[in-house]
Amino acid sequence: MDEAIKNLTMRKSFGKSMLYTLPMFLLTFILMTGGRPDFSDRSGTIALLTTFLGLNILYFLMHYTGKTDKLRAILFIVFALTLSFTLIKNTIDIRQTMTYSQGDILECNMPFCHLVIPMLILPAAFTQSIIYPGSILGGFASISAMVVLWLAASVILGRGFCSWGCFYGGWDDGFSRFRKKPAIRKISDSWKWMPFAVLLMVALTSALALTPTYCDWMCPFKAVTEFEEVTGIESAAKAGIFISLFGGFVVVLPVLTKKRTQCSYLCPLGAINTLSNKVSPFIVKIDKQICNDCYKCVQACPMFALTNDDVKKGSVSIFCTKCGKCIDACPKQAIHYGIVGVPANRMVKFSRNIFLFVSFLFIAIFASGSIITVVKSFVNLFI
Amino acid sequence: MTAGLIWALCCLIVMIMLYFALGGLSEGFAKLPFMKLNPNTNGGELAQQVVMDNCTLMIRKPVFDGLLRERNKGFVQIEWKGDLPGKINDTIDYNMDSSPDFVIGIIVPENQVNLVALNPKVRDVGISTSTSYGWAARINIDK
Amino acid sequence: MLDSFILGLSSGSTCLFTCGMVIFPYLMAGTAGTRKIITDLSLFLLTRFLVYFILATLAFYFGKVIFTSPVFRNYISGILYMLFSGMLIWYAISRSRKPDCPAKIVETVHNRKLVPVFLGVVNSLGFCPALMLILTKSATEGTIVQSYLAFLGFFAGTALYFIPVPLAGKIRRKKVFETIGVMATGIAGIIFMIKGLTSLIGGIIYG
Ligand code: SF4
Ligand code: SF4
Repeated sequence: MDEAIKNLTMRKSFGKSMLYTLPMFLLTFILMTGGRPDFSDRSGTIALLTTFLGLNILYFLMHYTGKTDKLRAILFIVFALTLSFTLIKNTIDIRQTMTYSQGDILECNMPFCHLVIPMLILPAAFTQSIIYPGSILGGFASISAMVVLWLAASVILGRGFCSWGCFYGGWDDGFSRFRKKPAIRKISDSWKWMPFAVLLMVALTSALALTPTYCDWMCPFKAVTEFEEVTGIESAAKAGIFISLFGGFVVVLPVLTKKRTQCSYLCPLGAINTLSNKVSPFIVKIDKQICNDCYKCVQACPMFALTNDDVKKGSVSIFCTKCGKCIDACPKQAIHYGIVGVPANRMVKFSRNIFLFVSFLFIAIFASGSIITVVKSFVNLFI
Repeated sequence: MTAGLIWALCCLIVMIMLYFALGGLSEGFAKLPFMKLNPNTNGGELAQQVVMDNCTLMIRKPVFDGLLRERNKGFVQIEWKGDLPGKINDTIDYNMDSSPDFVIGIIVPENQVNLVALNPKVRDVGISTSTSYGWAARINIDK
Repeated sequence: MLDSFILGLSSGSTCLFTCGMVIFPYLMAGTAGTRKIITDLSLFLLTRFLVYFILATLAFYFGKVIFTSPVFRNYISGILYMLFSGMLIWYAISRSRKPDCPAKIVETVHNRKLVPVFLGVVNSLGFCPALMLILTKSATEGTIVQSYLAFLGFFAGTALYFIPVPLAGKIRRKKVFETIGVMATGIAGIIFMIKGLTSLIGGIIYG
């Protein structure tokens, strides 16, 4: 290994990795147990400890191996799967079915997810009210708590939210890893602006109709969470759209292109998160002095955030979700996590350590609830 | 460079505090003036309440709210809370002018609804559905 | 009115970025200041408004003659919606699409004062798929007022884009806005396609 690369490698010794994991270990323990560990329930304790250890092992490995993306993806995908499971379980527990009725909408009983946020902005500004039939505070997934979490994560991580926070992104991230090589390679670069068009349309239609139109008509994740009971042509059309969008954008296209097509082409919140990349202090930087223009990073990027031109210019575009795939793919270690204002190739390790800590802490705690629920359900099957 | 580093460290501190403060932050956020449900969503304010044998009939204020101004078409939401009889047949005066506006009949087990408009402003049934507390219906009306 | 406004809003941006490139120079060429541009622009928008008013009236009366039964109305409007929305989607995704604008004919007009009026007429009679959709909608409305409202919504949606014309030179990244506009048009096409399909299926099932 040439000397320069050796100096830049992100691997740490076993002891050092343990040391770096210690703060995460303590914080996750306090946050997951609420500071008052209660081990009276056997299955709950097993689920809590398994999740806690699993999370910290992943974090340890990020330091020990110096790799980010694959380890992040494990947690990200598990989060998506367990969250869907938890949502479905919750819906079935309350309503004995995976569908919701118009009664649930009238009772404002719907769990809130962050994808609704783009549709709330204009009505909140003009009517001073919220148009989503959920609970403002309290209950399962309240509007207030979710908006606060998303706001904080978006300011801090920018579009990093889409690889370190969103409980849907793991679906297409997972499917985009199915094949070794993409079957479809040539895709026009302009499609990456599509989420802005979707954002424009859903923000306007929701504001004018005063109902969240994306949730009503377009959300592919309704197919894996809950959807409206089919009672007529309209609800049948909606169910058809949800399933087709999920099949197309979350399963088939990611498998064929190795790209996260739902997040890159459809999600209106992804468009807003793209803009939040302008606020976050964390970015991905390219060191042009080391880069040899092999463009392996461009092929690796699942978000259309890197083009050959970007690499030539030495900067990553605002579509970047800070997943770290390009960083791990670079044979020269020329790409790295950085901090705004700090030149590329300076404070490289410090920047990665601080970014990993912040982003991992966010997803670990956000995901732990649903992972524990699922592990507990499995443990209950056996004891 | 220093600004970037300071900003990054601030973010680190905020992230550590975030989950500890989440409850308080959410409560504070929920108090913001726009954090209340739109009448189109929650059915509007309660206007009248009629206690009947086994259940209570609630009539909400008509909702015409639009984005910038009131719409010409809206709805009135009525709810029956409690033990529902098999057949509901109620005469509703939603605008409280002491003259009935419509008669609504529901055969609960069959989810069949029948509306007789007595006021020309009453159009049709928008939603009629069972709920956890009984039954709810939205009747479309003109302003 | 709501869906016409949305259609106008989504297709208006494309209209602006294709025809706009022809319209701006004429509206601005030789003008001394913002006042003249505003006068010309108002004249341009007023003409479009009048043309739409006439179109709404014609569409409504033709609709009355052609669509004699409600079921027939469901079938025909469903098919027309699907046809025109298909065209709209094709327009959005077609790569060979040239940014051609009927307003180019304006080159034949020599009277400068008439240019905004002429542009207004030509631009509103562009018969793009979006306008065809509004004509269909207008023709199937129950009352003439609803028909006017449909056109009013469409007019308002498209007109919004022309209001910042005096600032046109300052818009950066025009290409990105155009791309987003074209895609929004495609999405509007999909919305109308679904509307057409539900109308058609509704006609078949409940007819
Ligand atoms: S693009 Fe949307 S669905 Fe994808 S990760 Fe971001 S917020 Fe989630
Ligand atoms: S540029 Fe790199 S870090 Fe950003 S999304 Fe693409 S692969 Fe992930």
